[in-house]
Amino acid sequence: MNKILLIIRREYLTRVRKKTFLISTILFPVLYFGLILGTGYITAKSGASLRIAIIDSSGYFDKGKIARENAADSSATLVPVSIAADSLKKNFSSLGYDGYVIVPADTKWEEGLKNLSLHTSRTLSIEGANPLERKLNNIWNSVKNEKLGIDESKKKTIENSRVDIVPENVNDQSANSTTASILGVVAAVLTYIILMLYGSQVMMGVMEEKTSRIAEVIVSSVKPFQLMLGKIVGIGLVALTQITLWLIAVFLIYNVTKASGTANSMQGMIGGMQEVFSSINVPFLLFFFLFYLLGGFFFYASLFAAVGSAVNEDMREAQSLSFPLMLPIIFSIATMQAVIKDPTGPLAVWGSIIPFTSPIYMMARIPFGVPGTVQWWELALSMFFMVGGFIFTTWFAGKIYRTGILMYGKKPSWKELIKWGFRKN
Amino acid sequence: MSLLELHHLKKNFATQKAVDDISLNIEKGSIFGLLGPNGAGKTTLIRMITGIFYPDEGEILFDGKKFDPLNDIAHIGYMPEERGLYKKMKIGEQALYLAQLKGLSKSDATQKLKAWFKKFDMDSWWDKKVEDLSKGMQQKLQFVTTVLHDPKLIILDEPFSGLDPVNANLIKDEIYNLAKNGATIIFSTHRMEQVEEICDHIALVNKGQKILDGTVKQVKHDFKENLFRISFSNELHAEHLGIFLFELVKKNGNEVIIKMNPGHTNNEVIQYFIHKGLEIESFNEILPSLNEIFIRQVGNTPTARQFQETN
Repeated sequence: MNKILLIIRREYLTRVRKKTFLISTILFPVLYFGLILGTGYITAKSGASLRIAIIDSSGYFDKGKIARENAADSSATLVPVSIAADSLKKNFSSLGYDGYVIVPADTKWEEGLKNLSLHTSRTLSIEGANPLERKLNNIWNSVKNEKLGIDESKKKTIENSRVDIVPENVNDQSANSTTASILGVVAAVLTYIILMLYGSQVMMGVMEEKTSRIAEVIVSSVKPFQLMLGKIVGIGLVALTQITLWLIAVFLIYNVTKASGTANSMQGMIGGMQEVFSSINVPFLLFFFLFYLLGGFFFYASLFAAVGSAVNEDMREAQSLSFPLMLPIIFSIATMQAVIKDPTGPLAVWGSIIPFTSPIYMMARIPFGVPGTVQWWELALSMFFMVGGFIFTTWFAGKIYRTGILMYGKKPSWKELIKWGFRKN
Repeated sequence: MSLLELHHLKKNFATQKAVDDISLNIEKGSIFGLLGPNGAGKTTLIRMITGIFYPDEGEILFDGKKFDPLNDIAHIGYMPEERGLYKKMKIGEQALYLAQLKGLSKSDATQKLKAWFKKFDMDSWWDKKVEDLSKGMQQKLQFVTTVLHDPKLIILDEPFSGLDPVNANLIKDEIYNLAKNGATIIFSTHRMEQVEEICDHIALVNKGQKILDGTVKQVKHDFKENLFRISFSNELHAEHLGIFLFELVKKNGNEVIIKMNPGHTNNEVIQYFIHKGLEIESFNEILPSLNEIFIRQVGNTPTARQFQETN
């Protein structure tokens, strides 16, 4: 037992002391949020530049209405022109327009404008044409309103009087589906990252011991199983340390902003975060988050260790052999949206019980509420299989590892690995 | 008294018998040479002695008791042929770690390491990383980590490979020292000249079986062919050499190599030559080198591992 502690300590300290640990701990959230904010910014920015000329032969699109709309929304600009259609068709690009529309003279306000052609020199996506369509519709609405005699106050009444739905779970008043979706995504993505990142770290660590040939020296002092377990637990603690640092950072930001009440550009996000924290059962969620994070890690890490023990120096061997392990992890993150959309559907229920997908699926579902969305029996069964699953994979991988770590030569196939795993001593 | 007794050890891998019924006795304080070609089963045998593999059949007695890998490995130091260290770890830290895995306390290990580092001129290495060391230096470090916990049994697999003569001598002297202080050493190699020099006792294995076992002197004696080299100061003539006592193997000037016929003694031969009026300058028996014995015993068998070991 004491020897496992020594191994855990070495695995933990050598990793935590590395500069890369500190850098990745700080840089990762920065990059992650940078990516989210950055893509949002780029998406918002990219639609802004359309300049469209409009020839209005019907008389509905007067300059005043167009100018008012341009001022209200800058994501596309309409410019009324009064040159001949033929010359515009030839010259719109050189005149500085991205395209043009021609409103025919026989347009009737009661019928609207169906199939109005937007002529451009390049193909626009549906989303690219959206702002323009919105703008034309706004103008058209005001035309209709004028014709029907609807003034500003009536218009407001029409807009404001409507039906809104707020989902409310009778079993769990606190569960708010927007918050739950966000929390579910965050927890599942974090779990995904930890599984992939630290799972492959376990694999690399085992490969390092094998290729540097220190494995044989060590297994003459400790059992191979102890070496494997020590490595997995050590690396698991590194992952836990990183997660804890991130959680502390979130907690600090939350408290600092709450205390000072600062209004800055981050306010929207942090305000949202504060709302989230006050509406959920933090210790409850945190417990299950850590449970599934560690359970999933142990479940996969020992299999990664087995793969690491079976291959030689060649990274490509490791990649091809570990691909079947990554597949269910990638599958569960790719299908997570479906689970969040329908957290009580059969995919969500069974996927969150099977331990290959449960670490990610269950974390996507639990924020929706227990027992409101996740039944107690589902949770119990899922936890039971998680624990049983990692005990099984650790035992199974331990046998592969014991054989693989001292074997050099041809890369074995998964079929052979499974044979090693089920062999009696 | 024996430190290690192996009784009918067997270990099979999927397609071959790696160790097939080997029995050995290794005396306390002796230096034992375990010889054999590549793939003979040496490494498998050693892995069973170090508790890495369990034998399929047979029994190991360590220090008079049934071998208990969990506890007894604390008294064994093993330096595998394919050795290695953590490349990125500092040397002092690494040696401490390996020593603690063998059950030494941190303070004990530090103290002993300091003494060994001093002896081997490695004082300044403590904070260096292994990747900064030359291969020979790594070898010295590996040797230190193998013997640091004062094991009763030290198993060295090709300990001199990659060492320059100076460092090889340094290690060799330490091996003698350790044996003198009561440690038993198993020395596995196929470098025969080192075995002749260092070992008291040898065993030769091939294809999983023991084919020879005995003291170096005994083995050489068993394989001698009654060859003698005699040189004379006077000129030799053909008629001097036709006699029932021996057959001429080779004549080179005034020196002959003869093969004595069975049933005769050295004195008879010497008397014969003196009687012929020849003056003997030297008279030596030619004993076979271990290398010759090794090649003779192993050379004509189709050997080496045909399959990768799969446990």
